[in-house]
Amino acid sequence: MVRRQVLKVGSALLAALTLGGWTLFQNKRQQPLLLSARDDSDGNHYAVGYRLDGSQVFATQVGQRCHDIINHPALPIALFVARRPGTESYLIDLRDGRLLQTITSQPNRHFYGHAVIHKSGEWLYATENDTSDPGRGVLGVYRFEGEWLQHSGELSTHGLGPHQVSWLPDGETLVVANGGIRTEAESRVEMNLDAMEPSLVLMRRDGTLLSKETLSQQMNSIRHLAVASDGTLIACQQFMGDAHETAELLAIKRPGQAFQPFPVAHAQLQSMANYTASVAVHSELRLVALTAPRANRLFIWDLDSGATRLDAPMPDCAGVGAVADGFVVTSGQGRCRLYDCRKSELIGQPLQLPPGLWDNHLHLA
Amino acid sequence: MFRPKLLFTSLAALALGACSPQDPQAVTSAAIAKQVILPTYSRWVEADRQLAVSALAFCEGKNTLETARADFLHAQKAWAELQPLLIGPLAEGNRAWQVQFWPDKKNLVGRQVEQLINSDKPIDAGTLANSSVVVQGLSAYEYILFDSKPDTANAEQKARYCPLLVAIGARQKALAEEILQGWNKNDGVLAQMTKFPNQRYADSHEAIADVLRAQVTALDTLKKKLGTPMGRMSKGIPQPLQAEAWRSQSSLKSLHASLSAAQTVWAGVDNQGLRSLLGSDQKALADKIDAAYAVSLKLLADAPKPLNELLEDEAGREQLNAIYDSLNAVHRLHETDLAKALGIQLGFNANDGD
Repeated sequence: MVRRQVLKVGSALLAALTLGGWTLFQNKRQQPLLLSARDDSDGNHYAVGYRLDGSQVFATQVGQRCHDIINHPALPIALFVARRPGTESYLIDLRDGRLLQTITSQPNRHFYGHAVIHKSGEWLYATENDTSDPGRGVLGVYRFEGEWLQHSGELSTHGLGPHQVSWLPDGETLVVANGGIRTEAESRVEMNLDAMEPSLVLMRRDGTLLSKETLSQQMNSIRHLAVASDGTLIACQQFMGDAHETAELLAIKRPGQAFQPFPVAHAQLQSMANYTASVAVHSELRLVALTAPRANRLFIWDLDSGATRLDAPMPDCAGVGAVADGFVVTSGQGRCRLYDCRKSELIGQPLQLPPGLWDNHLHLA
Repeated sequence: MFRPKLLFTSLAALALGACSPQDPQAVTSAAIAKQVILPTYSRWVEADRQLAVSALAFCEGKNTLETARADFLHAQKAWAELQPLLIGPLAEGNRAWQVQFWPDKKNLVGRQVEQLINSDKPIDAGTLANSSVVVQGLSAYEYILFDSKPDTANAEQKARYCPLLVAIGARQKALAEEILQGWNKNDGVLAQMTKFPNQRYADSHEAIADVLRAQVTALDTLKKKLGTPMGRMSKGIPQPLQAEAWRSQSSLKSLHASLSAAQTVWAGVDNQGLRSLLGSDQKALADKIDAAYAVSLKLLADAPKPLNELLEDEAGREQLNAIYDSLNAVHRLHETDLAKALGIQLGFNANDGD
């Protein structure tokens, strides 16, 4: 008991100290820190942090390929989450890339590549697969003890094969994209393509289901999410049906409204190769950006009118994230780009970042 | 390595930093676009123009079925030659499906053509463009001219299928002309493969990577086009009706045409293909790729019988296995060795995303 209190005080002190360090660190910076999982050409995996001017802050080699990244609201640390069906996520010090902790998934669980941290900085929720009932979606609940994550329980995602998880702006309501696909441990092979159950779930942190909505096509796997500051929720999909068919690959749930397809032109849906990787919302400019790497296509639409702002080729476009002037987009094959979206004509610019081998998500801290 | 900071806008390619003549990747990209890709697209447009004329002539009784079939095979070959050159508009917007419907696991081509013919809806190029891709292209055209069910030798039957045949000819011609236009216009793909940066490519390396990506994708597809009817995806049980162009028995000829085109991208005209980007220290790899193409092209050219007949006995299946292995060798050399030698990362997320 006493020891636990000492530990708590210790971690609070540590948090206070590090918080100072982080604030200092944040004040010094000129640009946001771009965090991503990246490979080298020999197939080694890294957790990387770069400034947009191309300067490398860190590149830490890790054992398993990661997917999304989530940073702590107060501490200069971030979790690089294992890509499915990975079992190791990495807690990294953002100042120097030091590996603070390797979080191994619980028995009969693996990560799905995404997680969120509660605004209190105390709780982390990661989408996981219950491989004893393949595809049963759970949120692994972890608690920060200073700069250390401790597994503390789990919640149901109320669906199959969960992928990205996000917060609504209240910071209390969780949104889960249940991809609807069952996969086994150490496998990426779909087991139930004829009986998929994709769903968009809103739930409380105590696990209470608030709503569960679906789109019209059963084989349309809801994968990735972006939430605007006004609570507008965007989801992007991967369609598992026949290649010549067309699917509702982008969908929207405006505050108080039903989950429904975003008004994307039919020709644009046809040009996505039924696969989307990442979606981002720019709350100030009211824009939504979407990457379709299999079609080498990047899209930007007006969030409110649905008008197309950009429909451009970009080789293996992967992660996308909002910055002050527009969007940063990474690539698995080519140069990363910055699209300045402040004027009616969008201006793209190749960034000085190393080209290629960027994973499907980027996170700006 | 320092890279100049250059802009490209969403509306037009700004030729701010036209490639320097010293940039070998820009030179090669421009040469492949101008000397290999554009002429092949132009031949496709010509073949489809002839197809449109041919459909009309056949339906007006001015051409024999034999001539109509020869014109189809000519268009089919022109399309096969485009397979390793699917860059730009034809690779986008699901357009390739509008030219050919393959794979067709459930005989959608036969079923949907019959449905359309029996629906009494008026059929022309305009309505066809808004119909299912299944009935818009060469696969439906082939069904009408080669499948035994429509029996186009019979005058009454011929009259029933002719509106669709003529519409497909017109539709394919319009599509091919539109795509060629997309290459030739001011900020079209030809310009984008010549001057960098532009809205498509941030630099010449991205253009070369796109050429190799199209090449590798095509070689992989050729393996599937052969491997599927051989039963490689169905526990060794041959599936002759899953072959591309099985009705016209031109599956192996199409494979040969596609592979020849891939070989031209590699070797180039006037030696300005992908091979020219390999240094003298890479001569062993260049020789290996040359040899692999030669072996595979010869095996395809020497195939004594059509695919479906080769599938019927052990000796034939052995020949097909040899062709498959030779295609696999060409594919692997491009996907692994050539990509590495050219410093190109292929499909990191595109083929292995999440």
